[in-house]
Amino acid sequence: MAQDVTTIERIAARPIGVEPNAIEDEFARIWRETAGDTYDASSIRLRVLNLVAIANAADAEARYERVMEAMPQRYPCRGILALLDPAAADVTASISAHCWSSSAGGRHVCSEEVLLRGGPAQGRAVASAVLALLVPEVPVDVWLIGPPELQGELLDEVLEAADRLLLDSAAAADASSAYRDALAIGSDRGLAVCDLAWHRLVAWRTLAAQLFDREGARQELTRLQSIEIAGGAGRLSSEALLLAGWFVSRLGLSPADVSVRGGGFEATLYDGTRGIRLAVSPGDSAMRSVRIRTQNALFLVESHEANGHMHVREEWPDAAPHRTVAMRPVDDASVVVEALDDPDDASVFIDAMRAALTLSESAVDATGSPPASA
Amino acid sequence: MTIGIAPSSNPLRAGLRLSRTPEPCAVVVFGATGDLTARKLLPALYNLARTRLLPAGFSVVGFARREMTDDQFRAMMKDAVAKFSREPLQEDIWETFSHGLHYVSASFDDIDGYRRLAERLLKQDPSHGAAGNRLFYLATPPTAYATIAQRLGEAGLARGGADGGWARLVVEKPFGRDLSSARDLNQSLGRVFRERQIYRIDHYLGKETVQNILVFRFANGIFEPIWNRRYVDNVQVSVAETVGVEGRGAYYEEAGALRDMVQNHLLQVLSLVAMEPVASFRGDAVRDEKAKVFQAIVPLDDVGRDTVRAQYTAGAILGQQVPGYRAEPGVAPASNVETFAALRLEIENWRWAGVPFYLRVGKRLPKRATEVAITFKTAPLQLFRQMGSDNPVPNLLVLRIQPDEGISLRFGAKVPGTRSDVRPVNMDFRYGTSFGVEAPEAYERLLLDAMLGDSTLFTRWDSVETAWELVTPVLDAWSAGASPLQMYEAGSWGPDGARELIERDGREWHRM
Repeated sequence: MAQDVTTIERIAARPIGVEPNAIEDEFARIWRETAGDTYDASSIRLRVLNLVAIANAADAEARYERVMEAMPQRYPCRGILALLDPAAADVTASISAHCWSSSAGGRHVCSEEVLLRGGPAQGRAVASAVLALLVPEVPVDVWLIGPPELQGELLDEVLEAADRLLLDSAAAADASSAYRDALAIGSDRGLAVCDLAWHRLVAWRTLAAQLFDREGARQELTRLQSIEIAGGAGRLSSEALLLAGWFVSRLGLSPADVSVRGGGFEATLYDGTRGIRLAVSPGDSAMRSVRIRTQNALFLVESHEANGHMHVREEWPDAAPHRTVAMRPVDDASVVVEALDDPDDASVFIDAMRAALTLSESAVDATGSPPASA
Repeated sequence: MTIGIAPSSNPLRAGLRLSRTPEPCAVVVFGATGDLTARKLLPALYNLARTRLLPAGFSVVGFARREMTDDQFRAMMKDAVAKFSREPLQEDIWETFSHGLHYVSASFDDIDGYRRLAERLLKQDPSHGAAGNRLFYLATPPTAYATIAQRLGEAGLARGGADGGWARLVVEKPFGRDLSSARDLNQSLGRVFRERQIYRIDHYLGKETVQNILVFRFANGIFEPIWNRRYVDNVQVSVAETVGVEGRGAYYEEAGALRDMVQNHLLQVLSLVAMEPVASFRGDAVRDEKAKVFQAIVPLDDVGRDTVRAQYTAGAILGQQVPGYRAEPGVAPASNVETFAALRLEIENWRWAGVPFYLRVGKRLPKRATEVAITFKTAPLQLFRQMGSDNPVPNLLVLRIQPDEGISLRFGAKVPGTRSDVRPVNMDFRYGTSFGVEAPEAYERLLLDAMLGDSTLFTRWDSVETAWELVTPVLDAWSAGASPLQMYEAGSWGPDGARELIERDGREWHRM
């Protein structure tokens, strides 16, 4: 993500009492220490948001650290990881910092990280420490690491102070439940909800949209015959479902006749009079390809994970040349940054998620088992 | 500034942040075998393609005198992108991008060449889906601009393609070498292209930190109320370079610092600092306000008093001995061309009346830096002087444009202890350390804007004209002997005259 940043110091986690004033003092001391002689009489901390990660998964700490390695370079922030660990008897805290400088030289910047760990029954106590450590007057983004389980005292309390919730429906055992819960929590709490699975689709949505920028190609949208989406290693991915939901909602189509097929599903989409075939099937990665067939043309977007590229192709007399572009990285840090960068398409996302929910629930009704799972 | 031409009737476009993808088009680069094309234009286009910012229907046609096939042109451009792109060249991406590269060989005044170009565009429009949209980029010496525009008109290329497409013309600086030649050039272009089709590029305006001047001023509520004559003591715009003329001696002999930097870059930056707020970034709003600034700059009635011109002599830069300007290749041994210029300007409007604006630019100065320094008036009561503290240093806001882009604010703080000692301290914000992501090259932004039809960051004729109206009398006065050429040693901060220019007002240059 960052091109010209050099880590100059990684200050390993230091245990400290769960006492907000002591934690703030220790951060101030770290800043003075790491600044050394490079600062003059004063310095500035740049913190544009609080990133509170909530998790109970074993790999959460490592994932959080990787995000905090990269993310503060675009969003200098205070990071707080609130971890409910079955092995933890008491609430404990440790703090760490990651200091870096750019190739342009000059002064360096540190991100501040706090790890709060408590037992599964200590959610309220951990939440109280989180709330006390939030940097005031800047947004609070809550990132739910792992399956989006949208309940529990910790999450409940922290969301009271949150501006935005980042979750990942792709990590859910049942995408339908994740969509339902995400839509409900967003509307009940008036909270902006971002699905990282949706943000992994940015390149797909962009390239698919660009195919229809030309007037001639745009006319083909009125002559749609089928949309085929492949995505999900082994089983259908939430990304594939959300992309299907996006096409359905953006094109104003109504799904019907949903049937489950080969780990995916097929449906007929109606735009009033015509039926358009939608086929969503597992591929060999979270998103593999999108094929849009019209009366006159075939439009294709596909990924090549091995070389990190995406290919865009059209087959019809007015086809634009074949294009290859770079894939966007889909690691946690890149996608979290993407979600923070792009908060403005909430209604498009909500419409797509609603349509994806309708599609997945229809498929469940047809078979009794969900088509999309992590 | 972010107004794109996303096809609003494309239902899949809604909510996509990358809605600034331009319409399909062909970019025709005149001077395709030159340095600018290799170093800046093709790498910029490649990076736009890599990041999905180019439309599906896109092609580039290189136009230059040298005989070359399409494949040879592609190979040449591949080398250029590999060498100069900010991101490494990726073979797969290059492969599809390069299919859209073509080449037409002709001299700039050869009408047959333009007819072949027209045929070529017509022929490739269907296969590349360019929809008759053409962006003509003049990466040529300015002497060729008028000829190219005329020939484009004669070949029927100035009005877009058969599908009702658009045609735009991008011209590089310098736009004329004085008021008269700029008017002549503008008339030549205007005979073929309408003003709204002409995009005069000033790459300074494509720099993120120059654009950030507007963001800093108008996205924050706390600065605008003090951004005026009541609180501001003076404004300094400085461009310091450590380099000399870098093999461009012949060009520089014709230009000099005033034409090369002040007439365009420095005055553009000044206008962004001094302009009134706009109600929106739509249409010509920003350019209208910038034009008003140019109109309000008071013409210099005493050039000898308010300007300084100087030339570097041999000296040392960063520990290396360097020759004087007159010993540079391509420079006349007795050259009187200035490599340093300083000016004192005033803007006669309600916001700035009485606030001096000092501009300085120089080559072979001790460090490379471009900055805007805004010095505020001191507090009305020097309270801490009564308690034994030194005179407080005025607050200083510095907008650093390059390198190490950022903003710093100097203010007084109490030194810890029982006394009330006040010391100036700096609060620093640096892009490089605060946002670790790499900003796009200025040319990427400007090429994209030109393709989108967003002319906000391009210079409109009225601004060019008023800038020349300001600068040309200075050039004339200098030619007539006002402000005799001073000398400064390479590695120094310029001639004594520059220091005297500002010290006369009881002020000093901001230390960069």
